[in-house]
Amino acid sequence: MGKHHQNLLNNLEDLRKKAGLTQQELSEAAEVSRKSINAIENGIYVPSTVLSLKIARTLKCKVEDLFKLP
Amino acid sequence: MTYFKRFLIVFICGIVQIFYAAYLLLHLFGYSIDWHISNHDVFMFIPGILVFVSSGILCASYYLGDKKNNNILYDEYTALRYYKIAAAGYALNGIGIFVLFSIQDWANWDFQSANNMIYQIAAFAWLTFGVLLTIFSIGDYKEYKNG
Repeated sequence: MGKHHQNLLNNLEDLRKKAGLTQQELSEAAEVSRKSINAIENGIYVPSTVLSLKIARTLKCKVEDLFKLP
Repeated sequence: MTYFKRFLIVFICGIVQIFYAAYLLLHLFGYSIDWHISNHDVFMFIPGILVFVSSGILCASYYLGDKKNNNILYDEYTALRYYKIAAAGYALNGIGIFVLFSIQDWANWDFQSANNMIYQIAAFAWLTFGVLLTIFSIGDYKEYKNG
C-alpha cells in the first residue's frame, strides 16, 4: 500500500510498478495528466469512478485491487 | 495548448490584475504614490480585456483543441484545483466586502463615497483573484515539471 488519502487506501504505485509502467505511460493510457497519477499515488487526490475504471483497465486489475476504504 | 502556454496566459492575467488592483486600492485609500497611470479611463480596462481574451483562448482550446492533449491539460485533478481556487476567492471576497462595508463613513455618505466603495470592492476582487491565479499558474506549472 502506498501513501493514503484519509478517505481512501490505495495500492496504485505497487500495481503500476508490477505492470512495468511509468507514471507517464499510465497517465497516457488512462487519458489524464501524469500529475493526477502522482497525486493519486501520494494520497493527495481521490479519483472519480471513470478514472478509477480506466486505471484498472490499463493495469488489468479490479478497482477493488487498487483502492480500499480505510 | 500546452502547460507552458496555459501558465503564461494565467500568470500574465494574474500579475496584471495584481498590478492594477494594487494601484487602484492605493489611490482609493489616499496613499500618494509618485507614479500615475496617464489615462485611467482607457488603461483600467486592460485587466478585464486580458481576462476576457484569455478565457476565450482557453475555452477555444478546450472545445476545439486536440482531444487527447485536452484530456491531460484539463483533467479532473486540474478542475478540482480550479474549484478550490474559486471557492477560496469567493470566501476572501466575502470577507473583504464585509470589511470594506465596515470601514465606510456612513455618517457622511454621498455619491462620491458610494462610487469609491464600488471601486474599492472591484479592486479588492481583482487583487484576490489576481493573487490566486498567479499562485495557481506557478503551482500548476511546477507540478507539471516536477510533481
